[in-house]
Amino acid sequence: MALIGQDISPPDLVAKVTGRAKYAEDFRAEGMVFAKLLLSPMPHARVRKIDVSRALAMEGVLGILRADEVPQADAPGESALTDEPKYVGEPILAVAAITETIAADAIEAIDIDLEPLPFTIDPLASLAPGGPNARLEGNTLTFGERGRELKSVKWTSSDFESLSEGRLPMGEPTDEWSHGDLDSAFDDADHVVEDTIIHQSLTHHPMEPRSSMAYWDNGKCYLYASTQSTQRAHAGTANQLDLDPSDLVFVGQYCGGGFGSKIAGSPINSITALLAKKIQRPVMLRITRYEENYIGRGRPGFQSWVRMGFRKDGKITAIDLYIIQDHGPYGRSGDYNTAGAITDLMYQPDAMRFRGITIYTNTPPRAAMRGPGGAQIVAMLEPLVDKAARELGIDRLAIRRMNVPDSDSRFGPNRGQLTGAFVREAIDAGADKFGWAEKSQLSGQRNGTKVTGVGIGVSPYVGGSSGFDGLLVIRPDGKLYIHHGIGNLGTHSMADCGRAAADVLGLEWEDCQVIWGDTSQNLPYSSVQAGSQTAHAHTRANHAAGLDLKQKLQEIAAATLGGSANSYRTSRGRVSGPGGSISFAQAAQRAIELGGKYSGEVLPDDINQVTTASATALSGQGVMGVAKDNFSHDGSTYSWVIGFAVVELDVETGDVQIVDYTGSADCGVVLHPRSLGAQIHGGSVQGFGQARSQKWVLDPKWGVPFSHRLYTARPPGILDVPLKMEWAAAGVPDPENPVGIKGIGEPPVGAGSAAVTSAIADALGGKCLCRTPLTTDVILAELQGRQPPHQLTEIHI
Amino acid sequence: MDFLRRTANPWSQDILIGVAWDLLWAALFAGILFVVVHALYVAVMAPVPEKTDRPIANVPEKIERHSGASRSFHWLMALSMLVLLVTAFFPLVGIQFAWVTIHWVAGLVLTLLIIYHIWDTTVRKDWRTIWIGKKEIRQAIQSAGQFLRRKPAKEGRTGKYPLDQRAYHNATTLVSVGAIITGLLMTFRIDTWFWTSNPYFLSDTTWGLVFILHGLCGVALITLVIAHVYFAIRPEKRWMTRSMIKGWITREEYLEHYDPEQWKIGDGEPAHSESHGLEEMSDVPPSDPGAVAPA
Amino acid sequence: MAVIRDMIPSFQLFQPTSVDEAIDVLDRRDNTWVLAGGLDSIDWFKDRIKRPDAVVELTGIAELKGIHMSGDALWIGAATTLHEVATNENVRTKFGLLAQAAEDVATPQIRNQGTLGGNLIQDTRCWYYRGGWPCYRAGGNICYAGTPRSMNREHCVTGSSRCVAVNGSDTATALIALGAQMVVRSSSGERTYDAEEFFIGPAIDIERMTVLEPGDILTHVRIPGDWGGARFYWEKARDRKSWDWALVSVAASIFESDGVIQRARISVNGVAPYPLRLTEVEDLIQGMPADDDTGIAAGELATRGFRPLRHNDFKVPLTRSLVRRAVRGDAV
Repeated sequence: MALIGQDISPPDLVAKVTGRAKYAEDFRAEGMVFAKLLLSPMPHARVRKIDVSRALAMEGVLGILRADEVPQADAPGESALTDEPKYVGEPILAVAAITETIAADAIEAIDIDLEPLPFTIDPLASLAPGGPNARLEGNTLTFGERGRELKSVKWTSSDFESLSEGRLPMGEPTDEWSHGDLDSAFDDADHVVEDTIIHQSLTHHPMEPRSSMAYWDNGKCYLYASTQSTQRAHAGTANQLDLDPSDLVFVGQYCGGGFGSKIAGSPINSITALLAKKIQRPVMLRITRYEENYIGRGRPGFQSWVRMGFRKDGKITAIDLYIIQDHGPYGRSGDYNTAGAITDLMYQPDAMRFRGITIYTNTPPRAAMRGPGGAQIVAMLEPLVDKAARELGIDRLAIRRMNVPDSDSRFGPNRGQLTGAFVREAIDAGADKFGWAEKSQLSGQRNGTKVTGVGIGVSPYVGGSSGFDGLLVIRPDGKLYIHHGIGNLGTHSMADCGRAAADVLGLEWEDCQVIWGDTSQNLPYSSVQAGSQTAHAHTRANHAAGLDLKQKLQEIAAATLGGSANSYRTSRGRVSGPGGSISFAQAAQRAIELGGKYSGEVLPDDINQVTTASATALSGQGVMGVAKDNFSHDGSTYSWVIGFAVVELDVETGDVQIVDYTGSADCGVVLHPRSLGAQIHGGSVQGFGQARSQKWVLDPKWGVPFSHRLYTARPPGILDVPLKMEWAAAGVPDPENPVGIKGIGEPPVGAGSAAVTSAIADALGGKCLCRTPLTTDVILAELQGRQPPHQLTEIHI
Repeated sequence: MDFLRRTANPWSQDILIGVAWDLLWAALFAGILFVVVHALYVAVMAPVPEKTDRPIANVPEKIERHSGASRSFHWLMALSMLVLLVTAFFPLVGIQFAWVTIHWVAGLVLTLLIIYHIWDTTVRKDWRTIWIGKKEIRQAIQSAGQFLRRKPAKEGRTGKYPLDQRAYHNATTLVSVGAIITGLLMTFRIDTWFWTSNPYFLSDTTWGLVFILHGLCGVALITLVIAHVYFAIRPEKRWMTRSMIKGWITREEYLEHYDPEQWKIGDGEPAHSESHGLEEMSDVPPSDPGAVAPA
Repeated sequence: MAVIRDMIPSFQLFQPTSVDEAIDVLDRRDNTWVLAGGLDSIDWFKDRIKRPDAVVELTGIAELKGIHMSGDALWIGAATTLHEVATNENVRTKFGLLAQAAEDVATPQIRNQGTLGGNLIQDTRCWYYRGGWPCYRAGGNICYAGTPRSMNREHCVTGSSRCVAVNGSDTATALIALGAQMVVRSSSGERTYDAEEFFIGPAIDIERMTVLEPGDILTHVRIPGDWGGARFYWEKARDRKSWDWALVSVAASIFESDGVIQRARISVNGVAPYPLRLTEVEDLIQGMPADDDTGIAAGELATRGFRPLRHNDFKVPLTRSLVRRAVRGDAV
């Protein structure tokens, strides 16, 4: 029986539950000392003067690392330390001392003189005439004829007049695309919905903050850090440190969550490495929860407006979408663009226009967060689709089934195509599991002070990439060693993806050993473990390497036992054919004797140089399977989760309890059922938090955040999760993956969030409050007809 | 001892937030020290002024020094000042109660009284009688010289308000006005019946100065009030205190302490002076210009 | 001086085994701190905002622990954990209001560690104050939460005096509605306060939440039998169902006879700098039927004079609703 589709215990499970698993902070080295960071108290400032003499004079203080000692990125890039901090909490310098307490005391002994600079925490405030810019160079990044350019964009006061009419100001955008004839598509519409919608920014909050430890030995840097993607973090960090990759060993075996905030190396890791180099001692930088909230990345918030046109039968004819993105001070987040493309993908309008602008703000830096762009926009738009359905008298499930794409659909500015889409199958599987027919009847039912609301959220996201390498070795012990450069994010994919190779060879899981998380262990070129790429990319890569390995085993058997290679089969650790059979162990021994391609001494030309280096190091140890994923990949791979939720809304207090939830996926072949359930549920719970409670709060006068503790940021707790949670999957194989699998990490967040925003709107009789999070105060103001606790476009409240 | 209280604002910038409340004890000490030194001086060393007989002329038996209105004004002012000081400083020394509303309401009362007083003295009366002019400075130099030579004052008599009263009045005016202006600004930092607080009305630095001024004026008032009360209860000044309670002084007191040239009591008419405010604070010509000869 | 958080500076720890020893240390040493479960204290320490030289830990003092009946009154040691309070048989059967309130505090981990006394005397969670901003409560001369631009969704709607922080205790709300008393000991002897007098507002002292002064230790809570077996109502409105302070909480003890309210004690928290006993509401509803109309009238009266800040208008209707439900006696 194939391993794919079965529940297995991943190889890290025992270590995790027994506490043996070593996270970055658990490592120690001889002579190790500790570092602490001095964080900016101001949202935007310039260092005028820093006097570290008192700190350096303290006993036990070993050294201080300043911004001019770390590589400085070009604007709008981010550096590990800076003399022009652009958000409260940005690291300015690091102190190393023999204990953490001394390092902290030394930070307090530093006299720092900062010159405050103009700052903004609200994109619209920056766009207003004469508004402040978050960066000295401007407030947005554009890609024009002259390439990438930082610009200052200000709108006119007449652009802001729409505020008084309750509509988002929409001045000149920097990004715009459209397809179809928007005007005539709106003319075709029988019904139009329109609203200004606000989505909050929020922090990733992985359980493990991004601590790291580093030391240098004989010119080589050993870095222990928390990452989502080991091999790519290795490459990125080597680049950051200006090191030859062979001079860096990156160890990150366990990762206590990342959600997109630790895709490759965090900038902060280079501080540990450079400080260790400077003071010639191993350095541990333990990042606290408080610091993690500053430097740990966040999801960009949106201030947006949408108009959607519907035909009587529910078909969506036209969508006009405008998004102003709250960007943070660095880099370039594409969430708003993705949101535009996803809107087009999931509603398939005849015509669509997207306009957008991203504005730098002096708030913590943004990065991709689980379903970046998608998770926001589906939670924003699904209640409006409900509103239209309600007004048109159409079943809410039916209106979704009607508009979702299928395998032939196209979308986005480039009218891209999909590898396949089985959304209707997933909707049906979910509706069945959830019991939509009965549960939808509960909508609006009143029980005492509680009204029931039922919601659906359809959430697509990218579900795979391709072109990476697989690297496998069967050693003379007869075991299959699966080398993985992907990280161990907690999704089990570093184990699950290896099963594609085991299945090709007909091996039991007990005979497989996964090698991961340590670049000294010879890892192949891998995808980043982000964007739900790995399950797709690395089942393909391992399938390719498995086929290569199988071919070699067959050839070895034929060469040993006679007959043609093709007449041999691999199963249960043996290669068997007309001449008898040999064990994998014997074949491995034989490969070592044969050398050449069998033992990795001759390698394919098309593999990445990272893989070449690793395979070369592994050569001669057994029979090697190594290959690039060259399978066809025509179209974009998208996965889907459809969330179904029942909520009870207390009309006297505005309290909402989610009582029932089902998430149903279109993710191709189910790779690992238990893990899929965990992904759907876990991601959905993150979505619940996004819809209901999680937020950023910053003081507008000082630009200082208050949501830098878990209890003030309010990610959902266990009692905010319904007792009853189910999942389902369409189970239709993806046509473009030989093993039929698509990734599934991203879309559950949007599904969970959208199902809840949709259900709350349903409980409010179809009223879309068009804002997240939907906290008690927002709901209560609506229920009691009082002034809402926020201005129309207000964010970070 | 630090005289000022500093802190770091939310951006870790060093800012001033007020005076050190140790100054309260310093002010108390200064007040008490003054009382003790003065009392000892009077008891042991002070020269006894010469008594000179003067023509009684047409001076009536009782001369009104403070009208009913001005006495009410004085006592209201004294009361509000006392309330202000108690509500300001008792909580600082550990006697806790809800003082804020009482404090700002008393401050408002005092402000209104002072506005009335300023209007009254500048528009209705002659503010120069309390002003320290050239003549008063000359007198000051003269009496300082006498004091230094330890000679009895040859000319111990003055106009309606003697120099020390004028000086006290003016010092108190300065300090009170300082406290009132800063205090009024500080009401922007609390919720009142008229507005809700807005501490961002001024910058950190400006607020720091406002608080320091208010604090300095506050502790200065402690010393001034101690001195004032002390004089009010001194035996040789009791006639003055009585005049602030009952309104009049006797003919003898008038003749003993005042120079009829400087404070003229009308011929054959009862002395009919009008005053308003702390007795030391104002000196004005009689309200009936016909009752006195031009100065 | 640069600021650093999340790193506890060193201090001297005292672990006395009797209240007298603890008081002795508090009297002998300057800049002391009384530590019980540590859930409030450690936050302050690690942020280096409160920096005591000597910390006196109470959890090793046997006389401060445990729950026992004395006559019809219930005595609870201040260092008794919230979990014990929530699960104690006498508390549950006679004064279930307190059990409910204790059970709604934070999370199981925190209730196992946190004490009743600590929950009662916890400092406010105003994020400006907790962030180390130099506000009134921290000895400065400004309330950063009360400005027209402040983020004050979780702040007070009544009872403020310059400072607009709220009291965060759940058990305080319940104990006021139970007519409890707080027993405080210091070197000058033992004092007893009615629960509602134990908490003080910023008008009285802007730097303290309770009557406790340096050298004082809250030793016991005494719940007299007066309200034992009443119809209780407890509700805590919050953003998350666990690990969250109340936006508004309500606690009520009501005796009814034939559907008519005989006597009642009601308190709310989360609306003022101290838990608020609603005596006017208690008077109003006495003799009235325990129904929705009375509830509505009670809610109206309870919120009369509330002055919301920029972001917390919702606390007015929320308080109104909670009081209404308490009087109406919804099934919990």
